[in-house]
Amino acid sequence: MSADSQPGAGDVPVDGYLAEVTARLPGPARARAGIVAELRSGLLDATDAHRSAGLPPAEAALAAIAEFGDPAQVSAGFRAEIAASQARRVAVSLLVTGPLVGLLWIATAAASHLRAGPVLGGHWAAPFPGMGVGIYLVAAAAGVTAWGALAGIAATGRLTRWLPVRPQRAPTAAAVAGYGAVCADGLGLVLLAAGLATVPGKLALLPAAAAGAASLVRLLLAGRAARRCLTLRASLA
Amino acid sequence: MRAETLKGHLDGILLAVLEPGPRHGYAIMEALRVRSGGQVDLPTGTVYPALHRLERAGLVEASWSAAGGRRRRVYQLTPAGRRALDTERSTWRDFSAAVTTLLEPMPLAVSSP
Repeated sequence: MSADSQPGAGDVPVDGYLAEVTARLPGPARARAGIVAELRSGLLDATDAHRSAGLPPAEAALAAIAEFGDPAQVSAGFRAEIAASQARRVAVSLLVTGPLVGLLWIATAAASHLRAGPVLGGHWAAPFPGMGVGIYLVAAAAGVTAWGALAGIAATGRLTRWLPVRPQRAPTAAAVAGYGAVCADGLGLVLLAAGLATVPGKLALLPAAAAGAASLVRLLLAGRAARRCLTLRASLA
Repeated sequence: MRAETLKGHLDGILLAVLEPGPRHGYAIMEALRVRSGGQVDLPTGTVYPALHRLERAGLVEASWSAAGGRRRRVYQLTPAGRRALDTERSTWRDFSAAVTTLLEPMPLAVSSP
């Protein structure tokens, strides 16, 4: 940053300052762009104020930068906000997609049962060994996902008015939810593969394909989101 | 006053500055300085994350405005923000009244003749 007082030289130090702030900001470019645009207009307002007070343009820009403070401190404040909003987005999408994917699996089961015939008697004989246990495990993983997602939403929303929340909590909860979804969807796919291998004739293929595809997509996205949340969490330390 | 001294009260102070009407980030900072008679001198850059946190909590809402040829993010109180400010105010009044009383020098015991 040079202190030369060429007229109009204010943009150079302002851009340099903004670059220092953004270099320390993780997360999606869209979130960063909004933050940079807001800080830039603030810095230009501050520069104007110092110019009105009589400073030449370049010195006014440097005074504005000095007034804004250590870029490390500014980006640390925004890192917590980025982590919170990303964690919230992940938690909400997991909470919304979970029941949808679940419905596809239930539809698959219902359609397959209809084709399989006499399961209405109350005795439910698993079409292949281990399916009962597998379904319990899926339910447990879905429960962990829902719990993590709700905790992530609680740690980032209106509740924070009354409860002080450590900034690490939201990305942690969202990562738990993400890995829970990876387990639930992965187990669902394993059950599907086992069904195809042991009793291929009993599966209603169309809903099974839809449920399998939905779970595969969700598994991949949830895994990536969970990893990102852990990265964001690490950036807060 | 440094940031550490204000810690825990910055949210209420920001809400109070927004009470008269919507303001953008730098105007909020200027109002803070003017209203405190220059006593509050935070790094301006740290006010922005605090405003984003208040927005996430639903206490303020923000929108981009292009008035005057420069795009600025303008903040205003939500109804919940107004209620939070009222609560913050009465809590602070009770607290400061109690501490002021406690910090006053005790009147010396006057011995009666």
